[in-house]
This record gives sequence, C-alpha cells and structure tokens, in this order.
Amino acid sequence: MSEPEVVRPRRPAGAVPAPAVPWLSVHPLTARAGFRAVGEVTLPTHRIWERALEDAVRDRGDVYFVELSALSFVDVAGAEVLADAARRFGERRLVLDRPPAALPRVLGLLWPGLPAIEVAAS
Amino acid sequence: MITATESAGPPEPFVHPALFYGDAEEYLAGTVPFVRAALADGAPVAVAVPGENLRLIQDALGADGDAVRFTDMREAGRNPGRIIPGVLRAFTDAQPPGRRVHIVGEPVWADRSPAEYPACAQHEALINAAFRGREVTILCPYDTARLEARALADAHATHPLVILAGAGAGAGAQRGSESYDPDEVVARYNEPLPPAPDDGAGVFTTAFEADSLSAVRHLATEHGARLGLAGPGLENLALITAELTTNSVVHGGGTGGLTVWGEGGYVVCEVRDKGRLADPLAGRQPASRDQRGGRGLLLVNLVADLVRMHTGAAGTTVRCYVGC
Repeated sequence: MSEPEVVRPRRPAGAVPAPAVPWLSVHPLTARAGFRAVGEVTLPTHRIWERALEDAVRDRGDVYFVELSALSFVDVAGAEVLADAARRFGERRLVLDRPPAALPRVLGLLWPGLPAIEVAAS
Repeated sequence: MITATESAGPPEPFVHPALFYGDAEEYLAGTVPFVRAALADGAPVAVAVPGENLRLIQDALGADGDAVRFTDMREAGRNPGRIIPGVLRAFTDAQPPGRRVHIVGEPVWADRSPAEYPACAQHEALINAAFRGREVTILCPYDTARLEARALADAHATHPLVILAGAGAGAGAQRGSESYDPDEVVARYNEPLPPAPDDGAGVFTTAFEADSLSAVRHLATEHGARLGLAGPGLENLALITAELTTNSVVHGGGTGGLTVWGEGGYVVCEVRDKGRLADPLAGRQPASRDQRGGRGLLLVNLVADLVRMHTGAAGTTVRCYVGC
C-alpha cells in the first residue's frame, strides 16, 4: 500500500492568495419563526449575523429557530454574538438547527452553562 | 499547614509552593497531608497531576478522595497555556466564596518534549500573576529524580515558596525561595522559535490580509486534511487559523504570514505578524461573562495541544500544534 500523497500547493512565500469573498445570506423561515443562514460567519460577515440575531431577540414568539445546516464556519466573535443573543432571550427558547459541529463545542468551552441555546441535530 | 510568608503590608493571599520529591514515598508525604488538612477544614480540593501520580494519591486517600476533584494533567494540561483557564480557574471559579481553595498541580514531568518545556516554565511563572489576590493555594510537585537540572532551577524562580520532601533535617519544611523571579522566567522563555520550514513536501506557506482571511482558512484546513487531520482536530485547525489570522488583521498590523506543516504526529500552524503582544496573560484567563471580544486566543489555548509564542518589537509568532 502506497503512502498517501501529500500535495504541496505551489505558492511562493509572500504571495497573497486571490481574494475569495466570504459571504453570508440570511433567509426567513416560512413554517416557523426563525431564519436560515447560508455561508460563513467571519470578520467580513459579522454585521449581517449581528443584524439577523438582533431581529431574533426582538421577535416575540416562544421559540426561535436558527437553521444552520448550510453554514460552513462560525468564528469566536460570531459565537459571542450568538451567546449574547441567547442571554437576552430570557425565558424564550433559541434553537440551533444542525449547526456546524464546532459551534456547540466553542459555545460550551467559552460560555459554559449558557442555558438558553438548544441544539437540534435533525 | 502552608501559610504565606511574613512581609510588609497585608500578606499575599495566593500561596504557591514548589514541592521537591525524589520518590513515591516523598510524593505522598508531601501531597496527601496537604489534601487531608484541606478536607478536614471543609475546603475545596483538586488534584491535577499526571495519571500515574494521580493513582498514587487516589490509593492513599481511599474513600476520603470522594470529595476531591481529580484530573489527569497529561490530558487536561497537555497544552500548558490551557492549564490556568481550563483546569485551575475552572475549579477555583466554581467554588463558593469564603473558603480557601487548595490544588495540587503538577504541570512539569520528565517526558515533556523540548518544544513543550518553555511553555511549562512560562505557565508556572504566570500562575503568580493570574492568582494574585485570590484565596488559593497551589502546591506544585517537582520530581528531583527525573527532571533536568534546568527545570528544578526554574521551579525555584517560578515559586515564591519551596518545600523539600526528602528525609533529614528540614524535610517537609517550607521556606522562601531565594531565586524567585517569575518575570525573568517569562522573559527568558519568550525566545525565538526554531524557523518554520519554508520549503519541502508537506509545507504550505502564504501571506494574508483582510481580503484573503477566508481563502487562507480554507487552504490551511485543506492542507491539514492532507496531513492527516480529520473530525474535531480539523475543526480545531480551522478555528486556530481563523482566530490567529483575524487577530493579525485587526490587531497585528493588518497583514501576516501563515505556515502549516506536519511534525511528529502533529499538524503545526504558525502565524506571524508585526504586532506585539503586550499582556503575557492574554489567552490564559477565562473571560468574564460580559466581556466583549478578546476570547480568540483563549479558544486557541483551549483547543490546541501546544501553543508556543514569541513576541517582541519586531513582531509576534504564534505556533500551535494539533494532534493527528
């Protein structure tokens, strides 16, 4: 059995990769209160994520769903926005539907005991 | 019973002795009475030491150990930068106020690698600043039979108090360390890292700026996968890359360099920029609940198997190891 091939990208040190614009789009759910997020939550898309969660905090329903199956990545600042929103939910429920695997782990490591966020795996 | 040394002004409540032991008998003689005395006072006690020493203490305590929080430091403290937030503060912050918290913490053992040791010494030095003013005692055992002379000398510089567990006159007594100088240890081990490989199979290196953060994270993660990372390890590499490169863009001069390579069963991710890290405790203290921002480096410490840093006027290098 041969060794797995390791491919080294041929990129001269100091060359900056061509910009790949990260994006995030937010779509209201139709059957229940919430939104579906598509893309990634990183420095350039934080503002969009913050606005979506501000709307979630202002919603008055008992349960709010954030559908994240098409979200590829959330950085720590994005997780902080979510933790902050969850605290402002009070007695209401914030449900993360199919989040990226690392997100619940990051929330547990940095905001242990955060009560308001539920994670739905399916 | 361990108490603070006499000094002018109110005594420092944080007590941080090094316990020098030569064998299992001395280890137990130095640690078990410390644990039992705290238990007798109804004080919270944690023991975070390498697994083989954990079992020694557990066997000696028997059922009395039920009230003690035991942690295998080889796992929980693999990255020395994780020990203050993830082990020590995680325990002390969870205790009710009004009771001195007692911890046996052994972060330095003989088979720590040469890459790990400087981070261990800095960690031991930084404990003093991290716990200043807190009603906490952390007793740190050091194995005189197996540790290098350098580690034993450093322990005298990182601990204000020392205890010799051996037999003979003065055994078990606590005295002030004559060479206590934790800031010097932090500075001495803030040493330039061996150069990252700049060429060869399995090395990915690139520059980055704000517009390329996302692309660089994708490329670094793809390279980590080629080097053997999968599952949570690969997620950790993505998180580490994102937090370090974003820090460089926001705080470190706007641009930086990243290199990812394989080394001895780890994927290593290094980020360099022109910024200077002013606070040696950055990323080593749990964030307060309402703190805005400032958790990126903390997460890096919590998920990496080792974090080494060098910072100075010319810039900062952060090197993280993620186990395959």
